[in-house]
This record gives sequence, structure tokens and C-alpha cells, in this order.
Amino acid sequence: MNTNAVIRLMSLMSMWMWTGQGQTFQPQLTPNDFQAKITSNTVILKQPYCIFDQTCNGCEIWLVAALSSIKMSLEIKVRVRYIFFFLKSTTTFDAQVNSSAPYVLNLSPYPAAFNPSSRNFFVTKVGPLASFPCSQSSNDFYFIVGAEGNCGGTNCNGILPNGSIVSFKYLLIDVNNQTIVNMSNWSPNITLLTFQNPQTINDGLSARSGAMVVITTILSVAAALLLLLFFIMLCIVCCGRKEGKPISGVSQTVMSSIRIPRYDTHLKDQVHPYDNPAYESEVKNYSTSDTLPKSGIQTQKL
Amino acid sequence: MGAGALTCLMILVIVLNAIAAAAGLALFAVAIWVAVDGYKLYPISGVSGKDDIFAAAWIAIFTGFAFFLTCIFGIFAALKRSRALMLAYLIIMFIIFLFECASAITAATNRDYLVGNSNLVKKQMLQYYADSSTQGKQITQTWNRVMEQVECCGADSPKDWLEYNSTFKQTFGPTYLWPLNCCQRLSNFEVKDREGCLVGKSSTMFTKGCFQYIESVLSRYTWAVSWYGFSVLMLVFFTLLITMIYYMQLD
Repeated sequence: MNTNAVIRLMSLMSMWMWTGQGQTFQPQLTPNDFQAKITSNTVILKQPYCIFDQTCNGCEIWLVAALSSIKMSLEIKVRVRYIFFFLKSTTTFDAQVNSSAPYVLNLSPYPAAFNPSSRNFFVTKVGPLASFPCSQSSNDFYFIVGAEGNCGGTNCNGILPNGSIVSFKYLLIDVNNQTIVNMSNWSPNITLLTFQNPQTINDGLSARSGAMVVITTILSVAAALLLLLFFIMLCIVCCGRKEGKPISGVSQTVMSSIRIPRYDTHLKDQVHPYDNPAYESEVKNYSTSDTLPKSGIQTQKL
Repeated sequence: MGAGALTCLMILVIVLNAIAAAAGLALFAVAIWVAVDGYKLYPISGVSGKDDIFAAAWIAIFTGFAFFLTCIFGIFAALKRSRALMLAYLIIMFIIFLFECASAITAATNRDYLVGNSNLVKKQMLQYYADSSTQGKQITQTWNRVMEQVECCGADSPKDWLEYNSTFKQTFGPTYLWPLNCCQRLSNFEVKDREGCLVGKSSTMFTKGCFQYIESVLSRYTWAVSWYGFSVLMLVFFTLLITMIYYMQLD
């Protein structure tokens, strides 16, 4: 088994050297700044300008879209002791292509391509070789893998499995002779975005802002303080009123005006004029006793 | 306390009450502005059931106007030098104080729930945009308007539409990755570059997220009710202290 693998390795290496072009000989992501460059089930690649420089009438470029796992599965089956395991990694797909009799385009039809026990790749057409000359290479053009959605054709451009790790490879196929003329390298692994359920977003309270804490504490303290002071004030006022009652005993019994110092009550048994004992003079006395009307005028009978 | 000092205190009480009446009226006006919701973002808080910012604004409308009326009554009571009226004034002011406290605290707390981080807004967008229920229609209209006016897409970025499943994705499938309102438009409202927008060419669509704008508007509403209410309350607190001292000096 060891020699078998070594022979495979040597053949691969020779094929690799023969097909090596010096520039990047593999599918690449578009260098443009697209938001949807990699989504959960589609990828946008550069168009294959200047990949194959053979001239070949009737040749077409096809794309292999595969799960990266089929690159590595041989590694799991045969315990790897080789240094160049990345070269070895392409043998699974290549083994299927080289060894099996059916035409590669019919090998793995799209609808069943990614079922659990399937081959985990599909092949879809990019375009005729003549459409991609080196001289017209441009980054403005792009190719969307998965553009046809969940389609039903054998070689349709269907979507990839959600969130999987995928790799791509170009095939140069002569349709008339049904042979593979050339194969590019595998692209590096591309990890698709995983599709998450929006229910998993945690929309609970994240954190309390500082402003909210300040407002709440200061207002609570202020309200409590206000209530406390209010009760203290009521206590002081009520106690003050109770203590104040017995002090002014005499003047309470006299029900008379506090503003007039002397007036005539016209009662026979009282003095004329009558000095008001409840009189309270204001602090500012604008008029002195000299300027007030004299007592003679006050006793005039009306 | 001498009569002169008492008159001084009375004038101080009157002046403070006049300022508080004006501040209360301004609170009334600001709270009306918030309740009217000129930015038309109410569905974002209403659909999630967390619309307490607007409830706080309604409370502030009533307390603001009540402050205005009660402070005018306070001026009258201070002039009359009547203890009974001053006591009534103090009690009423205290009750309004409590309600206004509630309004300010509610608005500030609720803002943290809504726009503390972008999760709630994002989840709501993914669930309700393009949904056919009443809430869905409201959210769709609101988001469409925001995306057009503010020139944004998604909550944090257009990648929100790619990373999560959504009602929009279920309805419009793999053709449209994000709503067409994310695309730049010409002055006649035609999409500038439909193909470019579908793949996400950065020059033909909006790439910034809408959460920043939504957060700034809701914060503006909250701080109008909350911080301004707080400052009115501090002024009223001070006024009530002085009034209580005045009340004690009356006989």
C-alpha cells in the first residue's frame, strides 16, 4: 500500500509541475469589495481569465465546487507519513475522476451532491475557453457560485451547504471528446458563514448606563430627604403651636383689633378713650404719637 | 424673625416659584415634543413592548403643567402669607415631585433596555421586516424610511442579513440578500445599479449600520425627558426647602 501511495504521489507531483503556470493557478475570490463575497451558501469568484493558456477548440472551463473534506479524506484512510501532504490531498477527487469510467460531468449531479453518503462535489459550467483570453482579464467580472439557488439540473450552479468549508478547482474539458484536458489546483479552503437563527440573539439588558444610575440614586435620595424634612417641619410647627398657647393668656381673652392703639367703645363703664391692650405696634412706626390725632377729637360723640 | 427678613424670604419664595413655573412649562413643551415623535421611531420600541420612554414623556406632560399651575398657586399663597395655603402648596408639590421622579427614572432605565446594544434592534429587524403581521408592516415601514433617509443597511452592517436567518430571507429567498432600500438610488428613485447592489458592491449600496442613528434618536428623547426632568426636580427641591423655611416663619 505504501508503494501504491508513493506512485500516486509521484504522478501527482509530475502533473503538478506540468500544469504549474507560475501565476496563481487556482480559482480565487474576487478582489473587489463586495459585501456578499462569502455568504452562508454562495461565493463570488474571479472569472477564469488567464488560467489555462492552451488553445483548444471547443474546450470549456468548468468549476468543481467541493467540500474541503474530500481533499483530506484520503489522509484519514491512509495514515499520513508524507511531507507533501497538501499534494496528496487532491487525490480523492482526482482518484474518482481518473479511475472511474463515467464522464466527470455526470459523476455527481447537483441535487444529490451533498447528501450524506454522496461524493460531496458538483461540477458547473463557467464558460467556453475562448471567452477568457489573457488580454481581456479584468476584475470587474465575477462569477457567483450558487447563483441558481436550489436548482434541479445535473450540472446547475446550485447553492452550497450552509456554513461548510469549500474548495474550488477549474477543469478544462473538451466536450466533443469528453475528456479532461487540464485541471487547475485546488483553491484554499473557504469557510462559509454559518446561518444563525435570530432567536439566538440575546436581547436582554446588556448593562446599565452611568446616567441612569446617577439619576435614580440622586432622585431617590432627594425625594426621601424632602419627605423627611416635610415631617420635621410639621413636627416643629405643631409643637411650636402647642407650646405657644399658654404664654399669651391675657391678650387671648381680649377680642379686639391689634392695629388700633386707642379707640372709643362707647360703653359707659369703660374709660374714654379705651386703650387697646392687645395692640401690637409694628417695628416701623411711620407716625409718632405727636402726629396722630389728639384724644380730644376721639371722644367726640358721633 | 423680623418682618423685613420675612419679606425677603417671601420675595425669594416668589422668585423661585416663578422660575419653577417657567421650568415646568418648558418641561411640558419638551415632553410634548417627545410624545409627538417627530422621528417616527415609535414602532421600534412599541413592537417590543418596551415603550416606557414615551410613557415617561406622557407623565412629564402632566407633571410639567402641574408644576406650572402649582407654582403660580404658590406665589399667590406666599403673598397671602397664609399657613394653610402654604401647607396645601407643599403637599401638592411633593406629590408632583414623586411623579416626575418616576418619569425621569423610567425613561433612563428603559433606554438601557432598548439601545444599550444593538441586539434588540437587530433581532426585531430580522424577525419583523417583511413580515405580514401588523407589527411586521410597522417595522418594515420604519426601517424602509430609516434606510433611505440615513443611508444605512442592517443594524450593525449589511452582514447582519447574511449571518442570520430572517423573515425577509424566507420570503425573498436567495435572489435578494438584503432589502432594496439598502441600495443607493438616483434622484428619480431608481436603483443606481441593481446588479451591483445584489452582490454587495460597496459603491452601489449603503454599508454602514442603522443602529447608530436609532440609538442617537432614542437617546435624544430619553435625555430630554430624563435629564431635563432631573434638573427641574433639583430646582423644585431647592424651592421646596426655601418654602418650608418660609412656612415655619409664618404664624
